[in-house]
Amino acid sequence: MNIAVNKTPAELAYDGMLLPHPRLEDWKWTNLRVLIDRPYPPRLKVAAAAKDVERLLKCDPLAKLAHARIVFVNGEFAEDYSSLPTGGDVRVRQHLTPLTAEAEPVLDMNTAFATGGVEIEIASNIDAPVAIVHIATDGEARTIATRHRVKVADGASATLFETHLGEGAYLANSVIDITVGANAKLDRVKLEIESSSAIHLAHAVITLGANVLLRDFTLTSGARVNRQNGTLAFKGENADAKIAGSYLLSGRQHADTRLVIDHQVPKCTSRELFKCVMDENARGIFQGKAIVRPGAQKTDGKQSSHALLLSETAEFDAKPELEIYADDVACGHGATSGDIDHNHLFYLQSRGIPEADAKSMLIGAFVGEAFDTISHDGVRDVLTRFAGKWLVNHKEEAR
Amino acid sequence: MLDINNLHVKLADEDRTILNGLTLNVKPGEVHAIMGPNGSGKSTLSYVLSGREGYEVTDGSVTFKGEDLLEMAPDQRAAKGLFLAFQYPIEIPGVATMQFLKVALNSQRKARGEKELTTPEFMKLVKDRAQKLDISQDMLKRAVNVGFSGGEKKRAEILQMAVLEPSLCILDETDSGLDIDALRVVADGVNALRSPDRAMVVITHYQRLLDYIVPDYVHVLSQGRIVKSGGKELALELEAKGYAEFAKEAA
Repeated sequence: MNIAVNKTPAELAYDGMLLPHPRLEDWKWTNLRVLIDRPYPPRLKVAAAAKDVERLLKCDPLAKLAHARIVFVNGEFAEDYSSLPTGGDVRVRQHLTPLTAEAEPVLDMNTAFATGGVEIEIASNIDAPVAIVHIATDGEARTIATRHRVKVADGASATLFETHLGEGAYLANSVIDITVGANAKLDRVKLEIESSSAIHLAHAVITLGANVLLRDFTLTSGARVNRQNGTLAFKGENADAKIAGSYLLSGRQHADTRLVIDHQVPKCTSRELFKCVMDENARGIFQGKAIVRPGAQKTDGKQSSHALLLSETAEFDAKPELEIYADDVACGHGATSGDIDHNHLFYLQSRGIPEADAKSMLIGAFVGEAFDTISHDGVRDVLTRFAGKWLVNHKEEAR
Repeated sequence: MLDINNLHVKLADEDRTILNGLTLNVKPGEVHAIMGPNGSGKSTLSYVLSGREGYEVTDGSVTFKGEDLLEMAPDQRAAKGLFLAFQYPIEIPGVATMQFLKVALNSQRKARGEKELTTPEFMKLVKDRAQKLDISQDMLKRAVNVGFSGGEKKRAEILQMAVLEPSLCILDETDSGLDIDALRVVADGVNALRSPDRAMVVITHYQRLLDYIVPDYVHVLSQGRIVKSGGKELALELEAKGYAEFAKEAA
């Protein structure tokens, strides 16, 4: 039966494209038909003043740590603000080839409306981090869509940073397609600190070859609505993927991560670890699905998500899914949620540490395990400091 | 320094009175021992003084250095010079001992308007104090109290005390869970901190600890109030007669 739907204003602005709603199992907690509450017209050009871009670029905590920066302003490559890598082992070029992946709402929106993207090819061992920085300047409500491709060649190694930040009300749609060749290594750190009135939708498609080591960390702290999809496929044996993330959410923020780890070949290891902190009326969601294909024996897959709820009205939902078609595997999942341990808090306070600082210490201790996935010391320190100041900062902003 | 006057305390969420008119006066340089059977209110006293939530003061007052102690948050009490050595020190996974100690010390100094210590100054201070208490560098590298044995936890409490240099130390059952050797190390640490400006309140169940930390005054706590006070010989009398005798006197 075909049910006619009244399209929302946002859907009409997307040329009638249907937005996902809770009747789709993967979207049961994130109703974009409601959350995208007004049109965010795509392909809308907004001029950016240099002073705004420069100010926002300075707000990127990872700014000083990257050796090459590829900057996108309002969805378009901004050469003037970028410092491209020198030397032949990293090649950067603009590209806009759509992904040929499964049909999925975030990807579909990106395929239809992306206005900019780069392809980064890394051919050897590159110690110097390469950063892609996405800036949105204050302007009309609009959709800003970018699409990148990263290829790490066989035996190569790379460190990739991704920052998303901006001002005003906009919808950012960010897709990244990452292929890591055999015996290669990739460290990826994504920082989502979008404007507090923004919507951030992302999809990362990751393909790993044999003997790969991937360490992937995402810190989610900006945007009023965040939905991040990740699909990771093991294509070669003995690869190891560590995927970690942390939410620092307050107010009415909503963040939903959905990861699908697809063990297609034997002897691969996957670890998912999410440590999420929610204050006030914030809501965090973690959906992790592991698929073990027939023949993918000796798969070792574990996922865990842990929530620290700082208020009675904060919420966390976790949904693990396992689809296992092989018999010699070790797969597991776990989820916990709780509030700050009052004995811990009292102990710290009794030593002279004021309550807000003591809470910040305990938040830092809670997320620390996920932050340990970051191998770059400088980035781990910067983000740890960010987490340490988060509680005091968001309370001040609320005032 | 510390004036507790007719203190009445009940549990916040239960209709049970624990301290029932307790009066105690502690002057700088003095060491007071508070002894009493289980349930007499010893630990409650230490928690109420340090500001733990869950207790309600229904009557009486506590002044510390002339100010109303009960009005202060726990961290303000600490900055003012009050320190509680916990009976059961809390393990805090993920918080590094050194970071914790440094933040604690500098928070207190900041609250008092003193200059904060630099990292090298702080390291030097901790190293010096740790050596005296036989605390290894390895212990300092771990998270707060995590993986410490009972004795190590108590030594770590005394280390914190030595670093923070409070003017009023409350030791809550510091001897519990310690063997004789550990007890001696801890007591030596405490004794090294005795000074004319610093007072101590030693809460204990057994007389044993008082062989090592010799008090100026001994008080017997029973049913939430002090029923007898005396010199250090009172502890020996208690040991010989038991608490029952004193409880009877009180009744």
